[in-house]
Amino acid sequence: MRAEFFLLVAALLFTIGCVGVLVRRNAIVILMCIELMLNAVNLTFAAFAHESQSMTGHVFVFFVMTVAAAEAAVGLAIIIALFRRRRTTDIDDASLLRW
Amino acid sequence: MTERDVVIRLLLGLIVVVFAFAVIRALAPARTVLAGAALAAGAVALVALNPAALANVEFWAGLVGFAAILSALMIVIHPNPMVSVLFLIVNLFCVALFYLILNAQFLAAIQIIIYAGAIMVLFLFVVMLLNLKAEEGLTARGGGPQRIGAVILGGLFAGLLFDAIRDRGPQPYFEPGSFASGFGTARELGGLLFTRYLFAFEAASLLLIAAMIGAVILAKRRLR
Repeated sequence: MRAEFFLLVAALLFTIGCVGVLVRRNAIVILMCIELMLNAVNLTFAAFAHESQSMTGHVFVFFVMTVAAAEAAVGLAIIIALFRRRRTTDIDDASLLRW
Repeated sequence: MTERDVVIRLLLGLIVVVFAFAVIRALAPARTVLAGAALAAGAVALVALNPAALANVEFWAGLVGFAAILSALMIVIHPNPMVSVLFLIVNLFCVALFYLILNAQFLAAIQIIIYAGAIMVLFLFVVMLLNLKAEEGLTARGGGPQRIGAVILGGLFAGLLFDAIRDRGPQPYFEPGSFASGFGTARELGGLLFTRYLFAFEAASLLLIAAMIGAVILAKRRLR
């Protein structure tokens, strides 16, 4: 298959994730949308690796997955800490650092 | 039937099962039977309409791409975080299938093990632990203009990305059979990881340790 199909799907997934981060208020859903965007980028890496017959793209996907795992663990810990204090996961209520 | 075909079939079955479960979870119980019947009827109609398409990888990839985008939209649209998690799992399975089509077998395996296995269980665990209820819909609570603006900007952004992809010009095209036999295997990836990218690999281990300690300290009730 041509790489264009995968690039288009990845672009759509990335856009949906991006809009989700801006539209949703629930911190967990926002984290999930970030995972969605990381996945779209991974798909692009794999498509280009396929096209250029080089496995360097696969190595990058590997590292992106590592960072995504670390990010999910820390992000969910922050959400738990936030929920313990405020009894909510709505990011509008976490406005202490907002200018 | 090669091992790859078996795995692809297994993944397709998993996607259907999780998708159906997510749809059932998303709808009211009264509509559950209706949704299941509609799904089954759709699948049967697809096969009955064009039996030859079943052997075509483009047909399957298009179907999975449709499922991926549909599930991504459901993540954003549905007010209940539990349903969003289920649809994200569907989406991750779809991407794993794309990896298989792109000759990235090892990536497909770790996509399922790490993402669908570890990260999504963490998400599910937190959603259930906090007992999150559905958000008060997606109706604005002061942020109406921001939401409409986000959707419009997202559309423009998608147009920009599509334009960039469209203008790439003719690119080389490879048949699946023309690949070097080691492409995408754990052996080749390991060879790269432990030679050229050894430093990055060690740095990643440091990052994981830091994230682990950070997560424990953040989630602790009080530091002592």
